[in-house]
Amino acid sequence: MIEALQFSFMQHAIIAGILVSLAAGIIGSLIVVNRMVFLAGGIAHTSYGGIGLAVFLGLPIFLGASLFAVGAALLIAMLTHRNRHRIDTFIGLIWAVGMAIGVIFVDLTPGYNVDLMSYLFGSILAVTTQDLYFMGGLLAIILFVVVFWYRQILAVSYDSEYAQLRGINTRFFYTLILILSALTVVIAIKVVGLILVIAMLTIPIYIAEKLSNSLFAMMFLSGAIATLFTLTGLWFSYTFDLTSGASIILVSAAGLGLFLLANKLKS
Amino acid sequence: MSQAVIEIKNLSFAYEDQLVLEDVNITVEERDFFAIIGPNGGGKSTLLKLTLGLLPIQQGEIRVLGKPPQKSRDKIGYVPQNTNINTDFPIKVIEVVLIGHVGDRRPLFGYGKDEIACAMGALAQVGMEKFANEKIGSLSGGQRQRVMIARALCAHPRILILDEPTASIDPQGQKEIYELLEQLNQTMTILVVSHDLSIILKYANKVAHVNHSVVVHDISDKSKIFHTHSDTEHLCEIELLQMLGSESCNTCTPSTESTQEGEKHKGEKSQWQESKWRETK
Repeated sequence: MIEALQFSFMQHAIIAGILVSLAAGIIGSLIVVNRMVFLAGGIAHTSYGGIGLAVFLGLPIFLGASLFAVGAALLIAMLTHRNRHRIDTFIGLIWAVGMAIGVIFVDLTPGYNVDLMSYLFGSILAVTTQDLYFMGGLLAIILFVVVFWYRQILAVSYDSEYAQLRGINTRFFYTLILILSALTVVIAIKVVGLILVIAMLTIPIYIAEKLSNSLFAMMFLSGAIATLFTLTGLWFSYTFDLTSGASIILVSAAGLGLFLLANKLKS
Repeated sequence: MSQAVIEIKNLSFAYEDQLVLEDVNITVEERDFFAIIGPNGGGKSTLLKLTLGLLPIQQGEIRVLGKPPQKSRDKIGYVPQNTNINTDFPIKVIEVVLIGHVGDRRPLFGYGKDEIACAMGALAQVGMEKFANEKIGSLSGGQRQRVMIARALCAHPRILILDEPTASIDPQGQKEIYELLEQLNQTMTILVVSHDLSIILKYANKVAHVNHSVVVHDISDKSKIFHTHSDTEHLCEIELLQMLGSESCNTCTPSTESTQEGEKHKGEKSQWQESKWRETK
């Protein structure tokens, strides 16, 4: 493993793993406490439409996926505001339609020029320097938003009706959380792939929630736990020549299993 | 000298085609302990939401402290109905109370010393200052309700509005909450939605029965209605029915406003029918 660190692809993979884990820890915490896991899943899968579109038009994949994911986030925010009761049906619809659009655009693209599997299951070993800038930039934005609006976000997440009563624009913060989730999903696709991204946004967060007594602690701890899982998964992946995204998720699941077992033994 | 703090005039409200409130007229005066009762789905929560400015007014008028509800929000403390949701949320008691300040603060991480002092003061007022650093989920229902009252007190309200504050709290906890409200009533107006008739009869001075339309009863003269003599004595809907039965034979005085009286009894009857129905269920 040590000699592997000489390779720039491995250095990139480790940096990407840390950046994405921290972003996933913070945003995953917001997704979980706001009960938006299904929404985030919908956004993740919808972004496949953006990948297909980008492939078809020859645009950068990150750009296509980001635009599509943010579009899906805005659409979901609008629908949730209007019709809260049937929102799960709409999300299911957006989820499927997004993926279908992706598949059709890839069909329409002449030749078979991209390995689409890498978007479904991640390709952390193929992270470029440009990707790292994108990931670092997004993490910086997330940190800025969370630090600047921590109290508003906390109030909206804990009790949105009360927050609204205290004059907070709950709709703005709800939409903001969804957009940041969409962008986090897009960078996490590079690491674990869009099929597995939800596990990354929930498993470390579940553990951290049980151990934290404030939202801030939960975000920080989630980031740390996600980093641990990602780097351990990466090591497994390298050592045994396994798909990186799946290794990370299985390591996370094993970690969760150990945590639950330890909890059970303690009580 | 009592002054009207909430005035509702000719208010009607419908969700899509369903009329929920019809021609409602209510006046809440300064330092009233005003209770709202009525069956589920009768429009109680809708009425509260309209008063808080969380729903748009379709027809009629609401003035809170002489202004439209949205403009008076900073003078209203609100304690929402369900404080048992979101108990997994990683948040400390003191942070929940500090949410009460959030609207009038500049953004940025961290809390000011003055705010923490104020929040601790509000917690002391409800007797919860020892729990400031506990996780909210570790408290009992009654304790959590006190924290929500402290959060509402943070903004130094003139009116405190509570939506079923004692649902799912044990009897001792309920009594403590109402004693706290009685104490707070010395300095502010209390508006409370509740199902518990015996408690309301003891603490409230006015009761509105909301079931699409609204009937207001003045019960400030306790000698006329409240027949138990000590705190430990039992009073429930059965005794109330019995009292009504005996009253209608000998102590009933002819009313000067007969039409209003008739309407009043209609309102009371449906309330009892509802509670009886709940008992048999």
